[in-house]
Amino acid sequence: MQVNGIAIQPGVTFGEALHLGQGHKPLDYRMLPIRRIPQQVQRLDAGIRRLQEQLAASLQALDEHSEAHALVEADLLYLEDSDLRDHIVDTITQLQFSACVSIERVFAHQASELEAMDDPYLAQRAEDVRSLGKRLIRAVFGRPGAEPGKLTVPTILLADDITPAEFATLPLENVAGIVLKSGGITSHTAILARAAGIPALLSTPYSELGIENGDTLVIDGGAGVLIRNPAGDELALLQARASEHEEARRKLDAFRDKSAMTLDGHEISLLANVGNLNDIMQVANLGADGIGLLRTEFMLMHTDTLPDERSQYQLYSDAIHALEGRVLTIRTLDVGADKELPCLCQAKEENPALGMRGIRYTLANPALLKTQLRAVLRAANLGQVRLMFPMVNQVEELDAVLALLEECRRELDDEEKGFGDVSLGIVVETPAAVLNLPAMLPLLDFVSIGTNDLTQYAMAADRGNPCLARDYPSLSPAILRLISMTLQSARSQQVKVSLCGEMGSDPRLVPLLIGLGFDEISVNVGALLEVKAAICAQDFRRCSQLAGQALMADRLSELTDCISRYK
Amino acid sequence: MYEKTVIITAPHGIHTRPAALLVKEAKSFDCDVLVECNGKQASAKSLFKLQTLGLYQGVSVRVFAQGPQAEEAVEKVSALLITLS
Repeated sequence: MQVNGIAIQPGVTFGEALHLGQGHKPLDYRMLPIRRIPQQVQRLDAGIRRLQEQLAASLQALDEHSEAHALVEADLLYLEDSDLRDHIVDTITQLQFSACVSIERVFAHQASELEAMDDPYLAQRAEDVRSLGKRLIRAVFGRPGAEPGKLTVPTILLADDITPAEFATLPLENVAGIVLKSGGITSHTAILARAAGIPALLSTPYSELGIENGDTLVIDGGAGVLIRNPAGDELALLQARASEHEEARRKLDAFRDKSAMTLDGHEISLLANVGNLNDIMQVANLGADGIGLLRTEFMLMHTDTLPDERSQYQLYSDAIHALEGRVLTIRTLDVGADKELPCLCQAKEENPALGMRGIRYTLANPALLKTQLRAVLRAANLGQVRLMFPMVNQVEELDAVLALLEECRRELDDEEKGFGDVSLGIVVETPAAVLNLPAMLPLLDFVSIGTNDLTQYAMAADRGNPCLARDYPSLSPAILRLISMTLQSARSQQVKVSLCGEMGSDPRLVPLLIGLGFDEISVNVGALLEVKAAICAQDFRRCSQLAGQALMADRLSELTDCISRYK
Repeated sequence: MYEKTVIITAPHGIHTRPAALLVKEAKSFDCDVLVECNGKQASAKSLFKLQTLGLYQGVSVRVFAQGPQAEEAVEKVSALLITLS
């Protein structure tokens, strides 16, 4: 039995289930007789006092300059706010509700006002407000804390939500993981859990599993699932994965904090390709230099409607916050060909790989593209954002999309909405793009080579066709020449070249890519540390020699020999 | 009455942490300091009220106060509104 959630780091974690005593008795929503009103105000004040004492105590234990300290202080300011108390007292006296019901109403109202704000970061604070309200209700009932007591075995804690203050007072030694019903990836508790290196699964509707204290739970961070009492083959598989992960992690962990630099000091910018929230959360943790490819079509895979500007803006700003200052490269919707989406009405095509895909589809649906461009431009106000367009083969396509981008800027300006600068790039994934590059480069800040499609289109070989896989591998002399041409023409105009295809995620090809002169490689999250380790083991001069030899190879076998012989 | 109008520059607006700093500053004055933004008004001493004003990047905020230390209070609070992030 399992449910999905949002994991903040990969890896398989086992632990014993423990529900944090966070719930409170069901509230009594009936109106109270007038004579009981004064007593409710007293209960409210006692609750506020109790929670203040507890928060003040947890403040003592916190580093004065930490994030948690600032957040607990903000909670305290809230509780001593006479406006807040007046609101609750008014609700008690005028509506004749109990202290707890009144707290619930006032905090819910406050949270919904925050949620309605046109700023995703402020809107996220609504959750913090709600959990403070819940905590105050528990305090009125006389038990503000969620102290789990001393933990003797690795434990996975389950809770609706954990406030930063509660997190700060948890006995972390035996906390194997945390599973919360609430929480977005920028919630404060997510930030604290990540900093403490504790696996957490957020937005997880775990009640569905009927978990009891003492059950065996497994958080599978890679898949973003919570599993209850696994047995038989499933258990064996999870245990094998846990120990496999543990061993690989130990070896690769050393590279987490290192930068990707060759033995002789040649630095490579190592970025991540991401296509879901789990991946986005892991980028900072892996010590990557940012996101080199955000596949935005993933937003659409499970929905029937296209996300509006606001939801897209929220997603991009979440990613920017999670990246903590690192670069975010957003690729506009790349649909068509093998990526069919349930929510888009795409006409059936005889030959979809050569049909309406990538920028062709979005240019034909400008409203769709403009929604995305506006969200990207607005998010660029919050951090370093690069924007790239898929399947651009001719400068005319680039002209058209840049005109739309300019239109979006003008609109945002008129609406007085803030937006930021974006670096512009294209994904080079057809031979035509390589040949037309000189005309496009003056309009671009960077290009990123998509080796999967480049191979498929250059060879006219479907990469999904098993009959062709052996004779048309991803690396061949022709592809190598196309890559080398791209590097040369881009470099002659000082445009940066990145590689975002699968080729970059193969540690065996790292020396070749470095030698060819890539300053930036974007790889799958799962391969990132392995690739980083491979980069750190290279000598740049020897890599250059290897690339020189590889470029001279006329036959597939020469090329593969040349790479496999390299040590 | 003393007043001043400033524009918020912090990329994430005046969210919980900076708002808390602002409240602490306002509380150090005897006079009441009011903040007006997006057509709504709140006391700068109330985090609860301040939070719902929508103090995000780019909005214009009027800060005003009356009574003892009004000028100093308005100057301090508006300076914080500009510099906090």
